[in-house]
This record gives sequence, structure tokens and C-alpha cells, in this order.
Amino acid sequence: MSNITTVEAFGDGFISALFPELMLFAGLLLLIIVPNLGKGTFRIPGTQIRLPWLLGGTRFKFTSDPRLPAWIASVTLGGAFLNVIYVFSQGLERVVIVSESGKELLLVNGFSRVFEMIFFGALALAAFSSMNRLQVKGIGSRVSEHELYNNRRQADFYILMVTCALGMSVVALAQDLFVLFIGLELASFSTYVLVAFLKESKVGVESGMKYFIVGSVASGVGLYGLSMLYLWAGSLQFSVLSAAFAESGTTALPLIGIGFVLVGFGFKVSAAPFHFAAPDAYAGAISPVAGVLATASKAMGMLGLVRMLLIVAAPESSEGSAVWLACLGAMAAITMTWGNLAALGSDNPKRMLAYSSVAHAGYMLAALTAVGAWNWDATISGDAGAAAVAVMTALLFHLVVLVAFKLGAFLVLSVLESEGGASRLSSLGGLAKREPLLAVAMFIFMISLAGVPPMAGFLSKLLVIMGIVRIAVGDMGAEIADGGVFVLADMHWVWWLAFLMVINSAISVFYYLRVVVVMFFDEPEEGREGPLPSGWQVRLAILACVLTTVFVGLAGDSLIRICEMAAQSLNYGW
Amino acid sequence: MQDWISMPLVGFPLVASIVLLAFVSNADASMRKRLSDPIRMATLVFSLVLLAITTGMFFQYFGDVSWEGISFNSYEYTHRYNWIESLGIHWTVGLDALSFPMVWLTTFLLPVTIIATWNEKNGAVYFPIILAMGGALIGVFVALDLFMFYVFWELTLIPMFFLILKWGGKDRKYASQKFFIYTFTASVVMLLGLITLYFFQDPVNPLQYAGSMTGRTFDIPTITQHALNENSNGNWYLGANIQKVLFAMLMLGFLVKLPAVPFHTWLPDAHVQAPTGGSMLLAGVMLKMGAYGMFRLPVSLFPHALQYFQLALMAIGMVSLVWGAVVCLGQTNLKKMVAYSSVSHMGVILIGIATMQPMGWAAALFMMFAHGIISPMLFAVCGAFKHHYHSMEIGAMRGMAKHSPWLATSMMFAWMASLGLPLLAGFVAELMMLIALWYFLAAEGWSVFWMVGPALVLAITAGYYLWSMQRTIFEGGDETQPPESLHGEPVPDIANPEKLAMLILAFFTIVFGVMPWIALDMMHDWTVQIFEGLIMPILGEFSGGA
Repeated sequence: MSNITTVEAFGDGFISALFPELMLFAGLLLLIIVPNLGKGTFRIPGTQIRLPWLLGGTRFKFTSDPRLPAWIASVTLGGAFLNVIYVFSQGLERVVIVSESGKELLLVNGFSRVFEMIFFGALALAAFSSMNRLQVKGIGSRVSEHELYNNRRQADFYILMVTCALGMSVVALAQDLFVLFIGLELASFSTYVLVAFLKESKVGVESGMKYFIVGSVASGVGLYGLSMLYLWAGSLQFSVLSAAFAESGTTALPLIGIGFVLVGFGFKVSAAPFHFAAPDAYAGAISPVAGVLATASKAMGMLGLVRMLLIVAAPESSEGSAVWLACLGAMAAITMTWGNLAALGSDNPKRMLAYSSVAHAGYMLAALTAVGAWNWDATISGDAGAAAVAVMTALLFHLVVLVAFKLGAFLVLSVLESEGGASRLSSLGGLAKREPLLAVAMFIFMISLAGVPPMAGFLSKLLVIMGIVRIAVGDMGAEIADGGVFVLADMHWVWWLAFLMVINSAISVFYYLRVVVVMFFDEPEEGREGPLPSGWQVRLAILACVLTTVFVGLAGDSLIRICEMAAQSLNYGW
Repeated sequence: MQDWISMPLVGFPLVASIVLLAFVSNADASMRKRLSDPIRMATLVFSLVLLAITTGMFFQYFGDVSWEGISFNSYEYTHRYNWIESLGIHWTVGLDALSFPMVWLTTFLLPVTIIATWNEKNGAVYFPIILAMGGALIGVFVALDLFMFYVFWELTLIPMFFLILKWGGKDRKYASQKFFIYTFTASVVMLLGLITLYFFQDPVNPLQYAGSMTGRTFDIPTITQHALNENSNGNWYLGANIQKVLFAMLMLGFLVKLPAVPFHTWLPDAHVQAPTGGSMLLAGVMLKMGAYGMFRLPVSLFPHALQYFQLALMAIGMVSLVWGAVVCLGQTNLKKMVAYSSVSHMGVILIGIATMQPMGWAAALFMMFAHGIISPMLFAVCGAFKHHYHSMEIGAMRGMAKHSPWLATSMMFAWMASLGLPLLAGFVAELMMLIALWYFLAAEGWSVFWMVGPALVLAITAGYYLWSMQRTIFEGGDETQPPESLHGEPVPDIANPEKLAMLILAFFTIVFGVMPWIALDMMHDWTVQIFEGLIMPILGEFSGGA
């Protein structure tokens, strides 16, 4: 384990530690400036001399290309993603960024790097594949006002994508509640606008409004919780809070505070009962954005939960289970069951995927619950630290691979959407005849979501179940070998969460298969028999998702190791 | 010894089918039609290569392997590669006397299925899927790693799902989904059982092949060895309560796959809607996965729990046997009748396991093998019937002997084999099961009148088979009526490839009926081995010597 390096903001090592974020910042500036470059001149007052200063005026052919913002955003996000991968290959360092007064602001370690990988990867794929979505005709000087307006919107869309990524990565790095909240709100506000981006359509505006109102209420509640924590501990620093919690965490004020924070992040991961806005938001947003909500935004919420529950309110190794254990366990059980049952009844593929994402949130909450139980009984919980790391590994692995198959499924829907809607299950009809490879891709995503081997979704679900069972069983095997006698009831009750998970996976197969059946069995809808709209970018993105899903499913060892490394760096007390 | 030879058995068909499917995936309809012939030929050749490998293994061409001397928990042609090291997952393949007959059966049925369904529509996609199905099935049987076993176990669902969905009958949409969901539900419960078993291993001893992150292993031989050491000391491996729970969880997955009443309802739907090739592989090999899994995991690992649940399993087996047969009597659909007869025969396997006699286990193993040859023939006949007469109703066609002598003869032969005519393969297994049941009753001190049940079922089986034969083949005399569904067209007989497939299947039914020892000897040796190592100590503990 490498030693921790302390770096002051803008001091030595600052740039190398935060290189991906700085890349995003540079990309953001480029996105704002480059599309505005033109033949604009500046007249020196009182003279006739005009100096070219390149901003405004008739734009160059190159800078008025509507695809330019998309390319800038994709390259920026993709570059940041590759940079994170490169950092992994170079071996991780732990860098903490402190303010002048010595307060810890940001912490760069394996844990935050994995989340950066998730965020940048998901947003890069979404940005890249949206290139086919918002295309406008007419390039150069002969653009109508409407088209020009649309070109401007191109830039808006991708600026929001990049700010979203920036906000999310700040959440990943934050070591301070204030910084965390800033990042959270930056990402949230970007997603609110992205959801409502199709303002011409009624459903887009409606879903954007719903998402905004529910989201801001949740944020408000969460903020109230944070302020209570501040009131109680007198600091916003994670390190201070966690020390205070270990001392007197079971008094009313911090518990209520944590409860409120749970609401705020519960909305972000769309955990029941805070999930009501999610299906509307997913259905109204364009598919790549919905995919971002289901993967990156969810990972951000999960990250917040992990920070609050496992760092701030973590149980000490001496005190058994965490205080929030029963509450979170119930939430996990309700979330996964509710999500699956609701998905059974939805005919809109995007709503179906939204509910499936609620169910997946339930699985992840179950894993988080298990971590809370990591040292439930000193005699049989065994090597609990390793078990906690195993569950965290599973959680991270699940979040990473979810990007491949969840976002991939949304991208397939996005191809259909650009043809005229993907709001009914029958829109997928005959996809196998219209474009077999796309149907095969969707099939792979569906069975991966359902957890059928040999796809990545199976491996991630297996890891989660294995983590939960490991915590529940503990060291009973060794005890039995020494002559101990155990019954089923001796296992920790989180084992039943694993049981509920496999039952829920079985239920979920029903609605995932329905999509497959429609694609391979039903005829196309009337007027949609022809070939699908072209666009190589979205297909390339889908291909990347397919390859990741299959490859990680077959050979996930290296990714598991990366996630394990990240999980180990989360809490050195384990 | 050429150990590597077990590797291409799994990898080759899967890779070949993926390559072929990728090749045709972007071809348009006319191109696919043209590609159909060469692809069919290619898959046939591939499957014949596989058959040649397994047959060569039997005749010790690839090294001096004596299949009759393999002791319990030792394997031939083993190979182990690291797969997911952090979890202790290896790509481990190996064969013993339990899995080898099943592997041979799979490789034998692949070319036969391809021949029997030579003219299936959209062949450019159909035949690669059949090949993939074969690869997945072989994978289940050769896997010696719990993870790998489960992966292939579920992988078999995907090609079968598509076979039913794309080439099935009228209600294929319903049947394919029911098939998938039903068996998937059972196997995820099994998966949780496997994982719980995994973590109940003792990580303190330096475990072989353990994962770096978990300290436990998925390696079946290692786990089996630990269980064997513990069990043969007279202790319950993992303790009584845990062993019972894990046994029940694993058994659920296998009982649904077998299938046993009351978990059998997916089977008639899947069979009736599945295309002929799908039915042949489904009945021939896929059902045997259940019985194979029982022997490989719960029976080998948890013999005490087997003893504990013995009567429950016996009851389930009896009910399956009787229920399947009685329901057959009421069927008007030929394929549904054959499907329920499969349920009945799987009851025989379960009874054989539940007797806990070496004879009973050998009977179960031989029944798996014999039913694997006979039931594809049954379904090939049904498929030909459907293909040529456009109907599956018993009685829609009368006097088939006159119009289609080939089909009539094949049907008669298959029906006779299935009802257990002496000198045909099915008879051997049924006779052995009856003897084993007799032993069981004697050992338990029960009345011999319990024998009446299975004996009566044999009569019922004869009843429904003879009745359906009489109605389709012979009835009608000279004034026979071709079925209305033909709309007055001339009545055809089966095509040449179908004739060839029937001949092959009939030939091997006779071979294994007259010379059952070819397969039976190795099975019997294996069951005696496992019995002496595993069951004898337990029986001693329970009833004071056996």
C-alpha cells in the first residue's frame, strides 16, 4: 500500500493527480469557445483599423459544423477515461488535496479512480453515440435560423455532458461534505437539464419537471441532513465526522442526519420508495441520457451512500453490526422486489429498463447491507475485513460492468428512437429481421441484465451473492472442521437477502426475455419494416458495450483485481 | 496419453457455431438459402469429428484409459487452467465413468439429430445452433468446476430457447419463455446452494486451487475429496442441518431439470412446441443433466442427506413414474404423450437413485443412457409424423402401415423400445431398477406389495403405447383414410435422411439391448466404487451393517 501524499491545491503534483478532471475542464472551455470562433473583428476605437479577434462574426466552416461539439466532448471524455485506465496500469498512488488551512478536500485513490472510470466511460459512450441523435442539416453559412439554433443546442448538450462528468468526479474525490454537495449539485443540475432537453416534446418537459422537483426536494432533505451532521460534529470533514461517529454515533441527532442523507442519495440510486421519478425521467429523456442516469448517476448515488455509511457511519471492528443495518436491509429487499414487480407490468421498454435499474439498485443496496454486517459475531464472522473488501469489490464490479450492458441497452433503444419512438415494446418488433446484429446485441444485454452466464452481468451478480453469503457464513466452515455444529439459523440474516436476490433474478428473466421474444418473434410495426437509420458512432458504441459484456463475463479476473484494489483503498481499518 | 483431447470437445463446437453464426448473420435471405447446404454439411462433419474423438476415447485410441477401472473421484483426460484466479475458478475438464457415457451420447446424438432434421427450414442458422447446443451440453458433462458447471448448465438454455422460439410450433412463444424461466428459477436457487457450499469450505487448511480473494475453491474433485474424507469418518460433512439444507437446494435445481412431478409442467409444453431437433436433444441429453448433476453433486457430497431424504425421493420418483404414465393414457397429442412418457421414465431414474443400491444406481445410469437413445427416436418419429401429415393428433392418420411403411416400422420399433421390450436397451434398465427396488424393500423390511406400483406402470405404459400404435398404424384396414390435414394430397413416406437416422438409432437400441455390458460395465464399476467408499459407512451407521 503506497503512502499518502499530501498536496496543496495548485501545488506540486496537483496537475498530475487531477489530470483527468483538468482535461475535462479544458474540454469544457474548448466546448464554449471553439464553436464560437469566426471571422469577428475588433475595431480599435477612433480608428478604422479592425483587428481580427476570431470570436463571433461569420463562423468558420470548421467551427460551425454541428458535429464539432460532439467530437470535442467525446474526445475529452474518452481521453479522461483512457487517462484513468493508464493510471491504473501505472500503479495507483494516493494523493490528498488539502486547502491552505490543512483541510482535506479531495482524495485521489483507487476507489475514486474506479468511479472516475465509470463516470467517464459512461458519459464518453453516451456523448459519442448521441452524435447520431441531434444531427442537424446544413453546414456553413447557409443555415437557417432554426438550424443555427439547433447547432447552438448541440454545444449546450455536450457542455452539460461534460459538466455532469466533472460534478460526478468531484463527488468521487470529495473528502468534505461541502465539496461533496457541490459536486453532487453540479452533476444533478446537468442531468435535470439533459432530461428535459427535448423541450419540443411534451413528455420531455414533463419528465424533466418531475425529475427536477423530486430531485431538488431530495437534495434539500439531504442537505438538511448534512447540516445536522455539521451541527452535531462541528465539521464537514469526513475524517472528523467518522471519528465523532465512532465515539457517539448512536445519539439521535447524527442518526437523523444520516437518515436524511440516506433520502438524498436514495433518490440518486432510485431506491424504493424514492424511485418514483426515475421511470418518468428515463422515459422522457433521450435514450443515451437515460442510460447515463441508469449507470453513471446511479454510481454517483451509490458512491455517496458508501461514503456516508461506510466511512462516516461505519461500525468499528469492535462493535458488531452497523446501526443502519436493518433499515438498509429492508430498503434493499423492498427496492429489488418492487422494481422487478413493476417492471413486469410495463410495456414501455425504457420504463422497463428504469424499473430494472431500480431492481439493480436493490441488489447493490443488499451488498451494502452485507458490508454493514461485516463483523456481526466475533466468534464466527471470521476474517471480516477481507469479507467486507470482497463485498465492496462486488459492488464496484457491478457498477463498472453495468455501464456496458445497461447503457448498451439504452443505446440500442436510441437507434430505434431516432427512427420515431421506442416507447412501446412493439417498437422492437422484428429487430432480428431488420438488423440482426443489433438484435443479437440487445439479446446479450438482456440476458446479461438477467444474470445469465457467461455474460458480465452474471459474474457481477455472482460476486454480489458470493460477498453476501461470505459475510453471512463467516468462518463456520473452519468451525465445523473443528467440530462445531451449526444450523441454518446461525447464519446472519443477510443470507436471506441473497436468497431474495436469486428469486428476484428469476422474476426478472420474465421481462427481459419478453424483449428478446418480441425482437426475434414479432413482426415489425407498420411503417417500420425498412432498414434502421444509419450512424456508425452509435453502432460502434454498442459494439464496445457488447465486447465488454462478453469479454468481462468470460475473463473478468483483471477487472475483479482492480475493483479489489479499489475496495481495499476505501477503508484501511478493514 | 493425449490429455489435450478433452479440450476440443467443448471449445470446438462452441467456437465453430459462433463463427458460422457470425458468418451468416449479415447475409440476406437468398444468400442464407444458398449457404444452408454447405453449413449443414460443415456442422455434420464437425459433429462427426466429435463423435470420432469420443469413440476413440472409448477404444483407448488416445491413451490407455480403462473406463472400467476408474475409481470414485478420479478422472481421466483432466485439464486445468486458471480462469478467474481471485475466486478460485478454473477451467477444469475431465471424464469419469459417470460423465463419459453422457459425453459419448451427446456426440452420438448430434450427427443423428442433424441427419434426422436434414431439411429443417432456415438451415444456415439452425444447424450452427444445434452444434452450439451440443457444445454446451458436453460442457456440462465434462466440467469439474462448480462455476464452469453452472455456466454451461445455463448456457444450454440459450440455444434451446432459440430453437423453440424460431423453429417451434404454434405456441412457441409461450413454451420457450416458460421453459427458460422455469428452469432458470430452479437453477438460481441451486446457484445459491453452490455458493453457500463454497463458503462452508474450511479455508484454514491450505486448500488446493483456492481463490486468492476468497480462500475457497470451486474445484469439484477437491470439494468431493473433502466431503468424502469427512463423510466416510461417519460424520456429516458440514453437519446435519447444513447438509440437509444444501442437499435440498441443489436437488431443487436437478429435480426441475429431470423433471420430476410436481416440477414437470415445463416439459410437455417445451416438447410439444419444440422442433424435432430440439426435442431430440432436449429429451435425449438435456433431461439427463438433472440426473447427472444429482450423482455429481448432492449424492457424492451429501450421502447422509440422501439417506435422510431417501423416502421423499422415492415417493417423488414413484409419483413421477405413475403420474407420467397415467397422464399418457389421456393424451390425444402424439408428442405430448411421448413427453409424459419421458416424465415417467425419469421417475425410474429417481427411484433408482433413491434405492441407494449399487444396482439401482447402475440402473439409473443405464436408464439415462438408454433413454438417451430411445427418446430421440420417439421424437424423430413424432417429428416425421408432424412433418408429413401436418398433424400430431393420435387418430388423425389411420392405417399408416399401408401408406408409410417406413414411418410405421420406425414408430413401432421406437414404441416397443420405450415400453421396455426385452433385448432392447430400455428393458435392461427397467429390469435392473425392479431388482434394485426389490433389494430396497427387502433391506427396509417392507412388504413386496410395493412392487405392484412400478409393475402396474409397466402395464400402463404398454397400454398407451399399444393403443396409440393401434390407432395410427393398423386401424382402418383397406379403407384407410389419409388425414384431413393433407387435403387429399398423396400420402408420403419419410425422406431418406430420416430413414437413415431411424436406422442408426434403432441399431444402437438393439446393440445396447443385446450387449448392455458395453456401457453397463463401467457404470456398474463406478457405482460399486462410490457405494463402497461412500454409502457403506453410512448404512453401517444407520442400520448396523449392510
